[in-house]
Amino acid sequence: MSEALELAGRLLRVTEGDEALALVLSERSGLARFARSEVHQPTLIENDVLELQIVRDGRLGVASSNRTDGEGMRALAARAAEAANSAPADPDFPGLAPPADPPEVEGFDEQTAALSADDQARLAAAAIDASELDLYGFFTSGVTELALASTTGVSVSQTMTDASVLALAAVDGASGYAEQTSWRLGGIDPAGASTQAVEKAKHTRGAATLEPGSYPAVLEPAAFAELLAYFAYDAFGALGLLEERSYAHGRLGEKVFDERFSLADDSLDPRGLPKAFDFEGTPKQRAELVENGVFTGVVWDRTTARRAGNGRQSTGHAPPSSLRHWGPLPFGLSVAGGEADSPQELAELIGDGIYITRLHYLSIVDAREGVITGMTRDGTFRVRSGKIAEPLVNLRFTVSVPELLAELPGLTREQVLLNQSAYYDERYPQGMLSPAVATARFDVTGVGSGPGV
Amino acid sequence: MRELCDHAVAAALGAGASYADARVVVRRSQVVGTRNQRVERLDDAETEGIGVRVLVNGAWGFACDRRLTSDGAGAAAGKACAFAKATPSGHARELAPLEPVEGVFRTPVERDPFEVSLADKIELCLRAEAALAHEDVKVTSASVRAQGEHKVFVSSEGAATEHELVECGGGIDALAARDGVAQIRSYPSAHGGSSSQAGWEYVESLGLEREAPRVGEQAAALLQAAPCPSQVTTVVIDAEQTALQVHESVGHPTELDRVYGTEAAYAGTSFLKPEDLGSLPYGSEHMNVTADSTTPGGLGTFGFDDEGVPAGREPIVAEGVLSGFLTSRETAATIGSGSGGSMRADTWSRMPLVRMTNLHLEPGEGSLDELIGGVDSGVFLQTNKSWSIDDKRLNFQFGTQIAWEIEDGRLGRMLRDATYTGQTPVFWGSLDGVAGSEEWVLHGLTNCGKGQPGQHAHVSHGASPARFRDVQVGFKQ
Repeated sequence: MSEALELAGRLLRVTEGDEALALVLSERSGLARFARSEVHQPTLIENDVLELQIVRDGRLGVASSNRTDGEGMRALAARAAEAANSAPADPDFPGLAPPADPPEVEGFDEQTAALSADDQARLAAAAIDASELDLYGFFTSGVTELALASTTGVSVSQTMTDASVLALAAVDGASGYAEQTSWRLGGIDPAGASTQAVEKAKHTRGAATLEPGSYPAVLEPAAFAELLAYFAYDAFGALGLLEERSYAHGRLGEKVFDERFSLADDSLDPRGLPKAFDFEGTPKQRAELVENGVFTGVVWDRTTARRAGNGRQSTGHAPPSSLRHWGPLPFGLSVAGGEADSPQELAELIGDGIYITRLHYLSIVDAREGVITGMTRDGTFRVRSGKIAEPLVNLRFTVSVPELLAELPGLTREQVLLNQSAYYDERYPQGMLSPAVATARFDVTGVGSGPGV
Repeated sequence: MRELCDHAVAAALGAGASYADARVVVRRSQVVGTRNQRVERLDDAETEGIGVRVLVNGAWGFACDRRLTSDGAGAAAGKACAFAKATPSGHARELAPLEPVEGVFRTPVERDPFEVSLADKIELCLRAEAALAHEDVKVTSASVRAQGEHKVFVSSEGAATEHELVECGGGIDALAARDGVAQIRSYPSAHGGSSSQAGWEYVESLGLEREAPRVGEQAAALLQAAPCPSQVTTVVIDAEQTALQVHESVGHPTELDRVYGTEAAYAGTSFLKPEDLGSLPYGSEHMNVTADSTTPGGLGTFGFDDEGVPAGREPIVAEGVLSGFLTSRETAATIGSGSGGSMRADTWSRMPLVRMTNLHLEPGEGSLDELIGGVDSGVFLQTNKSWSIDDKRLNFQFGTQIAWEIEDGRLGRMLRDATYTGQTPVFWGSLDGVAGSEEWVLHGLTNCGKGQPGQHAHVSHGASPARFRDVQVGFKQ
């Protein structure tokens, strides 16, 4: 039995007599953050967070602590019990999940788990040393274990590894970006990411401005994944659907996107950051969200499934308690690849337009219509006659994501794993598999600063 | 806690550190959230641990341990030194001189929020939610939060400080939807309401139940409102949105670590350069911005920052000219100005970063009505809905939940889906009036993100409504 599951079991025993779910999230991680080619924020974290959900007559109370001693556990149980006693009964509370065997998934690598602080520093140095320009970014790796034990018989745990390198090669007036993420150290190449960022940066000097307007565009995987994630958290979750406020309301079953666009949430895919179960203990399922342009589904947890009725079942997408107000979330998105061999081939498809490497500071302008604003950065170019041409300054965009997805001249065959975690709060690896995408419509609404630092 | 910090610092010095500091943090936070008359969140979280930061041969190292024992403190110190040794620096790091101080700071609290029962908090949320009801309102929500933090800091230079901080906050939202249109209204702020460093009396002062009927009615009325037309016009911006404008386009660009590029890969840098200090025209003569870590009720109020620098009040923009940066001891030494005072860490498991404390737009004169009265044709914008700004903090675009036409100095019809955009110095240069101190409101937000690994900072901004000329509202057509 894993340490985290043993800890969850101990916590559960403290709550004798109550219906309860004990959850343990353990983190051992190191992040070597660098700027101007020098590490300036090296952070080592070790923590174990214990969460206890107690149910009394349909009333749910939640408390958490990182004390693992007996006294700490008893205090935690007392606070969770007080919370349960204070809550009114929720007629839609589905009860705790029944036991179920989680699927066998990948996602743990001994070599990654064994990385020490020295190794993390060495891998950051490998990225820095490979760059002929000032390098900004980080190397990080971690081991995360999630364990759940409940009085309904749930007893599951999963140990996950993840490693990421983020490389921004930048000087005054030029910058280029690259990132790599994997649950296996062998799946990433810090020096390679650095070199890729440098090559991109070299082409961004002398950036020109661009008149606002609607342009065909190629979005590299990092840019498309970030845009899609902002849209997906609302549009592909059941809560927004049930509350009639998301893009999904009234559109399920309709063909609203280009037929080349298919999207699933698939945490079982070994190419992603695999997960076996969600934060309720429900086994993960692959959820089809868009099939050949038809909006086919959203992801569910037990609460929204109960509220929807009609025999609806959880798809295994319950979020952590701290994100419950978002409802079930698609944390393992996978965009089906297309037929293009490269982003350059996508540029040939659009002929004249813009090429985007990365986005910055997105914000949802209109959730119902999927309107999102943000900036491009670190590698924005004009596309002329099917070729990537002169660099552009950072562009302000305000796009309707459904309109952007309505006409996709092409997608690359290769899906790239993009890190979706900024490591706030407790570490829990999240990633998206995405190809590069060509769209017929990308709405530029202003211009910002040039590339570089 | 003091002994653990002393032990960690001694262990770090013994392991080769030339400088070390240690922070023990014990934090409890409660969030009660209700949605459509159901309890959605009922969380009671405690976390504790020690974080140790060291300088070894000019390189920083940071490590932490959740165990508040001598073993935990020693382990964190040892790992921080080992990590620093593994990431050698190419140069020495200087810290601005600091007279070591010892001191204690406690939040003045009238009513301990943890003495208010969870049942009472739930009841307050449910009552406020019920008052939001309207036939077109599909989602009502209310939340209250409380946080208590006990923090002890010790440095190898002899500083030893202690804080007992209390925060409270709350807010309500009404989301209306009909015929494919969805609109939201919030009070007192969007995105979770507003918080203050104060006791439960702050939540009571918000009057969530009292304000709820107006919020629900406005959300429903927005369904019938016309979209805000695109135009270049005069805008009057309410205090809450002005506060966020200050946060994004003044606060972040004046963080000196961003100026030096340490956030380049994530949050971005700044359009400012160190040499701009004292000369760069940031805005009009009406623009006076102050960083003040002594503001009563401010979420960025403390006795000492997380480097042991005493709290203070500094001009950042004076009569439109850049007059100061937000600094750490390291960045202050680099620029040769100031002594830090803005270093804050999210919790025990994070390294302190240069963060805003409380950053205020100083009040001008007159009332909101007088600001509006000075507009022949324009738009009044209220309550943030969306926010985005580029990596150098120049090009921004904000959306607001609600707007009104201004015609001949008076508010006209309600408008929805309003956005405005601009370039930071040009926009602040168009500032031609800030309402007076009677309209000045302190807003506290808890979701300011920065750093890798990510950190949330809790910061406050005081602002009055402000008027700007020739602003692009909506998008260029």
